[in-house]
Amino acid sequence: MLSLQHISKFYQVGGTRNFVINDISLEVEAGEFISIMGPSGSGKSTLLNIIGMLDEPSSGYHYFAGETVHQLKDKQRSALYKKYIGFVFQAYHLIDELTVYENIETPLIYQDFKSTERKAMVADMLDRFQIVGKKDLFPAQLSGGQQQLVGIARALIAGPKLLLADEPTGNLNSKQGEEIMQLFKKLNKEDGVTIIQVTHSEKNAEYGSRIINLLDGRIESSKQL
Amino acid sequence: MIRNYIKTAWRNLIKNKFYSIINIVGLTAGLAIGILILFWVQDEFSFDGFHKDAKNIYRLELWGGTGASRQIWQATVYPIGVLAKQQLPEVEDVVRIGYNGDFASYRYHDKIFANDRVAYADPSFFSVFSFPIISGNANKPFNDDNSVVITKSTAQKYFGNDNPIGKVIIADNKQNFTVSGVVADFPENSSMQYDMIMPMSFNIKHMLAQKIDLSDNFDEYDCFTYLKLKPGTSLKALSAKLFNIHIKHHSADTDVAYLLLPLTKMHLYNADLTDRGITTVRVFLIVAILILIIACINYVNLSTARSMLRSKEISMRKIIGAAKSQLFMQFIVETALLFLLSAVFALVLIHFLMPVFNQLSGKQLIFDITDYHVWMVIVLTISGTLLASSIYPAILLSSFEPLKALKGKISSNIGDVMFRKILVVTQFVFSIMLIVGTIVITSQLSYIRSRQLGYDKSHTFSFPMRDMGNHYDAVRAELLKQPGVLDVTRSNQNIIQMNGISGETDWDGKAPGQTFIVHLMTIDKDFLSFFKMKMAAGKGFTGAVNDTSHLILNEAAVNQIGLKDPIGKRFQAWHIKGTIIGVMKDFHFASMREKISPAVFYYYPSYLGNMYIRTTGRDAPKAIQAAQTLFKQYNGEFPFSYTFLDEKFNDLYKGEQQEGTLFNYFATIAIGISCLGLLGLAAYTAQVRTREIGIRKVLGAGVSNVTIMLSYDFVKLVLIAIIIATPIAWYAMSKWLQDFAYRINIEWWMFLVAGLLAIVIAFITISFQAIKAAIANPIKSLRSE
Ligand SMILES: Nc1ncnc2c1ncn2[C@@H]1O[C@H](COP(=O)(O)OP(=O)(O)O)[C@@H](O)[C@H]1O
Ligand SMILES: [Mg+2]
Repeated sequence: MLSLQHISKFYQVGGTRNFVINDISLEVEAGEFISIMGPSGSGKSTLLNIIGMLDEPSSGYHYFAGETVHQLKDKQRSALYKKYIGFVFQAYHLIDELTVYENIETPLIYQDFKSTERKAMVADMLDRFQIVGKKDLFPAQLSGGQQQLVGIARALIAGPKLLLADEPTGNLNSKQGEEIMQLFKKLNKEDGVTIIQVTHSEKNAEYGSRIINLLDGRIESSKQL
Repeated sequence: MIRNYIKTAWRNLIKNKFYSIINIVGLTAGLAIGILILFWVQDEFSFDGFHKDAKNIYRLELWGGTGASRQIWQATVYPIGVLAKQQLPEVEDVVRIGYNGDFASYRYHDKIFANDRVAYADPSFFSVFSFPIISGNANKPFNDDNSVVITKSTAQKYFGNDNPIGKVIIADNKQNFTVSGVVADFPENSSMQYDMIMPMSFNIKHMLAQKIDLSDNFDEYDCFTYLKLKPGTSLKALSAKLFNIHIKHHSADTDVAYLLLPLTKMHLYNADLTDRGITTVRVFLIVAILILIIACINYVNLSTARSMLRSKEISMRKIIGAAKSQLFMQFIVETALLFLLSAVFALVLIHFLMPVFNQLSGKQLIFDITDYHVWMVIVLTISGTLLASSIYPAILLSSFEPLKALKGKISSNIGDVMFRKILVVTQFVFSIMLIVGTIVITSQLSYIRSRQLGYDKSHTFSFPMRDMGNHYDAVRAELLKQPGVLDVTRSNQNIIQMNGISGETDWDGKAPGQTFIVHLMTIDKDFLSFFKMKMAAGKGFTGAVNDTSHLILNEAAVNQIGLKDPIGKRFQAWHIKGTIIGVMKDFHFASMREKISPAVFYYYPSYLGNMYIRTTGRDAPKAIQAAQTLFKQYNGEFPFSYTFLDEKFNDLYKGEQQEGTLFNYFATIAIGISCLGLLGLAAYTAQVRTREIGIRKVLGAGVSNVTIMLSYDFVKLVLIAIIIATPIAWYAMSKWLQDFAYRINIEWWMFLVAGLLAIVIAFITISFQAIKAAIANPIKSLRSE
């Protein structure tokens, strides 16, 4: 599904280059569930953002769904991204001004779905996540776990093939975290969504099919479960 | 999609009430005032444009006189237009309009009116111009020399609802005029304003009876001539041809040069296209634009400042798939919604302000929402300001890099902070300029008022005596016995603004070819003492029989023709000839915009139709009552109307007075809107710096330290604005003052006052927010982080 080859990312600090990602190569097959681990500052988020095309590498080759990402123009890249990728954040990052319903609906609006289609899709999603009763509430009125559910629902609404999650359970208690992991597992198994998550928890990492350990911007180890 | 945008926009509006209110109030005020001024400007530009052939109609004027007295004469001789039409194919038609001062009163049965809006005109008046005839025939408006065409409201006044056609109006109880047509009331934006129009042929016959043949007279310059030309006529060539015709009939007038002033320009321009109001219109246009810019800047500043607080929302929208263009549209819609709300409020406000504005500006604008001109102004203004205010914030917001914004790295965007500071400085530059303008105009007006006129006009009223004039000596003696009457004198016209001029002048030692225009006024023997005027040399009139062959010149006249030892020299103006017996010290008999002109005073008791009565402040009503009783005794039903010289004097400066008052309001509004923006920015700064303020307070900073810290940045901007505004305002106001022959100097204190005012107002505005932030509990603000 995607392939990174010799990807590097550095920041110029004074006269020296500070490598955050240092010559990483990585192949991801459709249907995989990958957990990325590593100490703080090791480059996990940066790697995830590069995969998700929110960030650009300083050098290297990036292929995604048969496209040569590093050669695409901004517009094409964002079209590709819209079509295939959903993002989940540690801090949920819901839009405070919108209700639960509208938060989930917004990606569809930006992808020019018709109003009737949107209604059906959002209703379906609310149902699936059992948050129908909360649809008219604003994010501030929800608990952290509920907000993250909405965040995931929003990431999934347009039917992405790849779900990227940056410490999705980082702000949740262990019970809430477990629920989210169950949900990911189900998505991966039943719906065939490819998932790449960043996590600090060994236990959560083991929900995945492969664990990659990062250290100082390099892949220190990788193990298939 | 658009519904979604509107919904989001509305929520944002509601959620940030403080900013929304500041924005809406500022925009509403700016739009309302801006649009009102633009209405005024549009009205000024619309003058005389309603005539179907406006583009091809010109008023014929000319340069006359030589040397210092050369000036543009708006009135021409009678034959020139007629000859032009006969001889020149490019002249399609001609209309001559003469002022009709032959009759003082008009009567229909028991209704008597004095009327000075009566003209003599050629029949072509109704075919060349587009004043719609309601009844009668536009191509043959007059049946004979004794016909008259009246306006609709005049008809109403004389005949009520009866059919006016065929009714007879009697002028001065001796001359019958039969109504042959009714014309619609002249529009407000017409330079020509008449109530009755009589045939020019009557005037010509009337003058012929007095042995003056106007059809071949090249001496009397007292009719307006309008020419309708073939499209594409060369004005330069035509003016040369007109000169040739003139010279052929009157070979002495080699200094005449004809000018053709387009009909649509005659309201704002002189015939040589110099200023006759266009400058004021331009100034107002600029002021309108400045006020609109100030209002737009508020919006731009507040929305870009607040964009930092919205960076998270915007980034998320991008990450979940919003294209730049979609975000751009969202912000445009947000701005548009705010503008739409403000526009609605502004229209309501305009509706209520219109009468006040009309009163201040001396106009009669109507807020008629069925008039497409009104909508043109409104739509253009709103879309223009919307465009100016929405583009930059929308670009800025939609171009956020989402990752940076999410990490909060965007708030240190230096360029953008700089941009806002520049905008605030711009606002205050405009505001300070307007304040300086107000101060200069007010000072100049009070200077004019306090300047020595050279005569005493206090508690004096004046009126035309009519038939009472035949019994002047008895009337005067009677009046002097009345309580409240201090003194009585007479002349032939009002001293405040002398009208009579003559270019037919001659004197001992006149150089050949030299021409000289003088104002002419005939005065009674006690005129000088009545007005406390002083002689520079010689003596005044005594009332002796031979005074009719004596003349008094003012100093300006003597100086301009360079007459040495004027006393005893021979002088002639018009048909008045005699020896100079005195030189009068100059006094102002026109607006201070003009230098005191040459004037000649003579003594012709039979011309002395205008009475002056000096009274006291307290007894004025008694004096007026006495004058009125005597007036009625000799004039019967004729209405008695008097004016106090002070009022007439004020009328001279009505335009400037209105300008001054309006400027005062504009400046207040401009600075008010600027301060609203400042208030918003200060609140934003306090909000962004809450944490810093909290920490400082924990470390021991007092309320005053924090207030000063927060205010300093803004007050600094106002200081910069003062520095920038000073030279611009100085330049602009010097230009304005140049139109006055007698004027104040622009003083440094005017800028000091304007600057201090701006700083104090700005400081009060800011400190309000700063103090609020400073007294807030620091623990609370730190916890909220
Ligand atoms: N804009 C930036 N400029 C300089 N350094 C950066 C920037 N963004 C991230 N970094 C650095 O890159 C490193 C990796 O960051 P990140 O990918 O967020 O690590 P992780 O998610 O593993 O904690 C960190 O040391 C961080 O300081
Ligand atoms: Mg991270």
